[in-house]
Amino acid sequence: MSENRTMQLPPLLEAKFTEIIARYPVKRSALIPMMLYAQDQFGFLSDELLGEIAGRLDLNITQVAETLEYYSMLRRKPAGRYHVQVCTNISCMLRGGKEIYDHVEKRLGIGHKQVSPNGTFSLEEVECMGACTGAPAMQVNYDFYENLDPAKVDAILEQLQQGSRPKPVPVISGALHERHPAEVPVISKRFGIPDSRTIGVYLQHEGYQALEKALKQMTPDQIIDEVKKSNLRGRGGAGFPAGMKWSFVPKDINKPKYVLANGDESEPGTSKDRPLMEMDPHQLIEGMVIAGRAIGSHQGYVYIRGEYRYVIDLVEAAIAEAYAKGYLGKNILGSGFDFDLAAHTGAGAYECGEESALMESLEGKRGYPRIKPPFPAVVGLYGCPTIINNIETLSTVPAIIRQGGEWYAGLGTPRNGGTRLYSISGHVNRPGIYELPLGFPLRRLIEDVAGGVRGGKKLKAVIPGGSSCPMLSADDSVAKIGSMLGSGGTVVIDEDTCMVDVARRIMHFYAHESCGWCIPCREGTTWLRKLLDRFHAGGGTPEDIPMIDELAKNILGRTFCPLGDAAAMPTISIVNKWRHEFEEHLQGKCAYKPAEMISGAR
Amino acid sequence: MAEQKQVVFTIDGQQVATSPGTLVIEAAKKQGIEVPSFCYHPGLSLQAACRMCLVEVEKMPKLQTACTLVATDGMVVKTDTPTVHKARKDMIEFLLSNHPLDCPVCDKGGECELQDMTFRYGLDKSRFAEEKLHHPEEKWSPLVYYDAPRCILCFRCVRVCDEGMDVKALGVGSRGINSVILPNRPGELACEECGACIDICPVGALTSGTYRYHTRPWEMTYVPSPCAHCSNGCKTTLGVRNNEILRANNRDRSGVNGEFLCGKGRFGFDFTAHAERIRQPLIRRNGTLQPATWEEALEEIARRLKQVRDAHGPASLGVIGSNHTTNEENYLLNRFARVTLGTNNLDHHRTADYAGLAALLGPQAKGSLATMADVYNADAVLLIANDVTQQNPLVAWQIRTAVRHRNARLYVLNGRPSKIHRKAKLLAEVPKGAERDALRWLATEQGQLDAKTIESLVHLKAALEAEKDVVVLFGAEINGAALRDLLSLAARFGGKTKFMALGDYANSRGAADMGLLPDRLPGYAPLSDAVERARFGKLWGGEVPAAPGLTARAMMEAAVAGKLKALYVVGANPVKTFGLTAPGRIAGLDLLVVHDLFLTETAERADVVLPAASSYEKDGTLTNTAGEVQLTHRSVDPQGPRSDFDLIRILSHQLGILGLGSAIRHRTPEAAFDEIRQHVAGYALSHAQLLGGGAEVSAAACKSVDPSHDVPPGAVFSSHDSLFTSGTMGRYCSRLNSTNEAKDTPWSSSPSTQSWWYR
Repeated sequence: MSENRTMQLPPLLEAKFTEIIARYPVKRSALIPMMLYAQDQFGFLSDELLGEIAGRLDLNITQVAETLEYYSMLRRKPAGRYHVQVCTNISCMLRGGKEIYDHVEKRLGIGHKQVSPNGTFSLEEVECMGACTGAPAMQVNYDFYENLDPAKVDAILEQLQQGSRPKPVPVISGALHERHPAEVPVISKRFGIPDSRTIGVYLQHEGYQALEKALKQMTPDQIIDEVKKSNLRGRGGAGFPAGMKWSFVPKDINKPKYVLANGDESEPGTSKDRPLMEMDPHQLIEGMVIAGRAIGSHQGYVYIRGEYRYVIDLVEAAIAEAYAKGYLGKNILGSGFDFDLAAHTGAGAYECGEESALMESLEGKRGYPRIKPPFPAVVGLYGCPTIINNIETLSTVPAIIRQGGEWYAGLGTPRNGGTRLYSISGHVNRPGIYELPLGFPLRRLIEDVAGGVRGGKKLKAVIPGGSSCPMLSADDSVAKIGSMLGSGGTVVIDEDTCMVDVARRIMHFYAHESCGWCIPCREGTTWLRKLLDRFHAGGGTPEDIPMIDELAKNILGRTFCPLGDAAAMPTISIVNKWRHEFEEHLQGKCAYKPAEMISGAR
Repeated sequence: MAEQKQVVFTIDGQQVATSPGTLVIEAAKKQGIEVPSFCYHPGLSLQAACRMCLVEVEKMPKLQTACTLVATDGMVVKTDTPTVHKARKDMIEFLLSNHPLDCPVCDKGGECELQDMTFRYGLDKSRFAEEKLHHPEEKWSPLVYYDAPRCILCFRCVRVCDEGMDVKALGVGSRGINSVILPNRPGELACEECGACIDICPVGALTSGTYRYHTRPWEMTYVPSPCAHCSNGCKTTLGVRNNEILRANNRDRSGVNGEFLCGKGRFGFDFTAHAERIRQPLIRRNGTLQPATWEEALEEIARRLKQVRDAHGPASLGVIGSNHTTNEENYLLNRFARVTLGTNNLDHHRTADYAGLAALLGPQAKGSLATMADVYNADAVLLIANDVTQQNPLVAWQIRTAVRHRNARLYVLNGRPSKIHRKAKLLAEVPKGAERDALRWLATEQGQLDAKTIESLVHLKAALEAEKDVVVLFGAEINGAALRDLLSLAARFGGKTKFMALGDYANSRGAADMGLLPDRLPGYAPLSDAVERARFGKLWGGEVPAAPGLTARAMMEAAVAGKLKALYVVGANPVKTFGLTAPGRIAGLDLLVVHDLFLTETAERADVVLPAASSYEKDGTLTNTAGEVQLTHRSVDPQGPRSDFDLIRILSHQLGILGLGSAIRHRTPEAAFDEIRQHVAGYALSHAQLLGGGAEVSAAACKSVDPSHDVPPGAVFSSHDSLFTSGTMGRYCSRLNSTNEAKDTPWSSSPSTQSWWYR
């Protein structure tokens, strides 16, 4: 069908559209990026604009509308020139995110999702933006501002009001620090080297040596074997052995195959893919080309959450460099192997971190998870065999190929090889991103590496690997209680924190991010959110306490995808371990701070 | 296909053997074990969204959804355990948390799946103490309303609209708890208005504009009927209360249409109660039609028919029958014309060349005619010259479903656009009206066609010749000599070819089968055959004249020219159909009698008009375009109008008194149907099966092949009705006509269907 163009677009956007559409074998994939870039240009998505995009992609209005309405960042009404987004999710909340939000609200005189009368500002209370080690944080349009306090916020807003752009953080806070002696830098090795993201610096520091080796000295099977030997497990949360995942891809199949990097990082408390992409994008690119070689794929995509726009720009710049130097494209390094790569933006949806939902999203649809089996290795993107790995997992591949799987495995535990990035946030003295061997004791991470609990307070609770994990109390161990290291996002909670409030805030997140596909998650998370709001505000009854536990258990294990479990597990652990705090709330007040009805993202 | 090894697994202690790939939910159903579900719907894509069908499976740690779980050897499934029962209860509790408990006023109350599931599997109390979500109700069209709070988001509507209808008018908006179903325009639907979304909705979220807040489901009686409109013969269930049809839907999905019903079948019943319905006989007095008694009207007709016959002979009389009247009525009308009046000037608006197909297939017709099920079961379908989406919506559904479920290959040769084309494996688009020439080229490689057309025909021909069993569907354009080309093309396919001629109206096929034709008797017996003439003459108590009569078009021309003196029209509107434009009475006619529901362009010009009952108001049989015969029932008393059966029968008595023919003694349609079963070729059908609500496949066929078959130009043509039109009746379907799509005529060719929302 011929493309239907009626609207005159600015030349830059026109060029962007052309470039985006050319990236995908199926036009619809361009839908979300096109909507987001068009929104950046015009401030919002008018019906006319949507019609124009639909026409170019041969879609109907239903297909466009349902995709649009799924994603938090896409809007049909104008926002302010400066869209101020304050995170109040767990890591930020623990360090005053809610107070920052209230401060902005007061200063600008507008509330959640409101626009100032002159159109300069709009405000939104948002979910985790991947700045956990720089909490509390906010974004103005795509610029990150971290480690905020009211005075810093005032200065930023003042500057914006005067029409200048305050300098955003250059890289995520907490990534550049003096190395702790316990650290074993493998993938973070180049962090802190000036211009580490450029191909020149990368090449000076072992860059693309692994690719050369993989293409010229190894067969695809040998690559997979090496990754198997390394005991590398997925770093996104589920921890599936990477080499095994690759080996599931059918060898003799007359279909294209795809390599996807999952950079949707949005598990609250987790901010470790962001530094990998912003400081060492070539390491990721190299890992993806090697993965492509291993499974016989010639096309990869890096799916990056939409909030990380500057990161997307950096990855795209790195991709362009790699093409220019012949590390991407046709006949890479004269090996005869071809591999193309592009970055793809999300548009605000936690669920798209789930691998099959990510593929739906990459196909331009609502981020609903898919029925499994079939698994992506057999039926993935566009129905073709696909491997999808976390950014960190793929970034590890060059080191494994360069130095050998056995070497890497030896760095970790027998079941889980190598090192990983821990992003530790919350009530610690040195929130940050640290590369430590697997099996590193959590207590040492908190007390030694991260400098212990802030202000000499006592430790109350720890989220070991992103907010989806069962919560640990001060004297638990991860393995003993069956929790997990998940995404490596460790959040430390001190003695002065209300655990009812923590449970409530966590449930706000999952209710907001539930995709709505299955009943227990869709209905259960919202029920619990409302119940916990009421309970925290002093409106609880004794029957509510066992009901919170039971409702969470009614979600657990029965949902379509793991999001339901992610909402249930922390809730069950909190209501059981800190039951006394719930009982104290029945007296009509919170022991830690005044009850607030609404202090979660709406 | 090779015999596949059966899979043996255990469900609730029973060992079950099933074919590989069977879903546990389906295998359970076969064992009489109900696994509840909302989102699972046979024939639509799988969702596993509602989580109602969770079952325990040995060696699997979590509960599994039976709707996506494929039974495998040795699997042990348990559906009746405390864990499963608790999971169901909890799921219902979650669902009810935001569902309004407005069952007492909800249309769905009493036939709601959520009510039933709550009754069977749910809790007896509610623990939800928070504020429920609320959205205002939305009117998406005069026919479809959406009540978001009631919606349980099973996405059946979205799937049936996309996968089943290929319309894609519905989507899901917002996210999480705020998810709602979205129509394709802001707050509004622009679609085919089939209402499948309403039918498939398990709760009262999607309701019908014609039915909502009218009654409770248990207050109605339900009458199954073939739809009164197009030729596809979908079964529709009429919901009747106090002699009024309040609803039509696809209640038990037991008809030839399975899941399907279009807007005409669902919303197009209100013509029966239209204010302009003729409710008493009319006689032209002093130039205007005036109400009269039945006695006056019948006496007037009989007297004047006799007068004309006496003065001008039987050849001056003509009878035009209907595409809507029942087989029994058509059969009686045949007798009435040929024996009572003594004329072969008998025809109807032929919308497909059924007679030609019968003549060319001869005795092979049985087994060579495709049923609706054959279309679904086809490996390959060749469609020639018809916009099935608009004209034959069930056929289009069968094709789409065959493509979707069975990867059937659709080949199309068409000169007009149709939505079905996007399902085609190969589409040969030819200039409008060139279908016959293109077919001739396919059959003989002869004819004048442009190079582009020939190129696409070359591809089509090659693809077709590689096929084995093909179901061939063809529209009105393929008639007479073109049918010969069609058969010679089909002779080159590798396997068994089956044919379906696509007509326009509810009993188009029946009218032809019953011999409302100038040259053929019931069952396509040739009029030229003296034995057949004698057979029917004897049966009908008179003599069938030998000379072939005039076609309907020729009768109209003869009437205008004064060569035909009396015209008797039953349930047809030839003035409009054949394009008579002169106002006032038809110049040459001494007498024009019309049976109809409404004062049509023809009835307006009549001397006597008799108010007739529609097929929803009388008993009898109708034959769909595939030859499937179904019973229609008197669901309501039309209050004044009489069935055409009664009118013909009574008039025959009047004429008998005047010495014209013998009185028709069949008192009921059943009695006439018995005669049809015995004497009309291909109609020896089981009455018991029909009474059971099923469809029986007829195969009216000629005893021998008649290779010389042809029809005069203009004798067979389609009205090209759309999803919103249906001859006279369609004009009086107020609800259907109140939609934007109906006003946008002709809808199929309007720019809006080409526009971006309809892709």
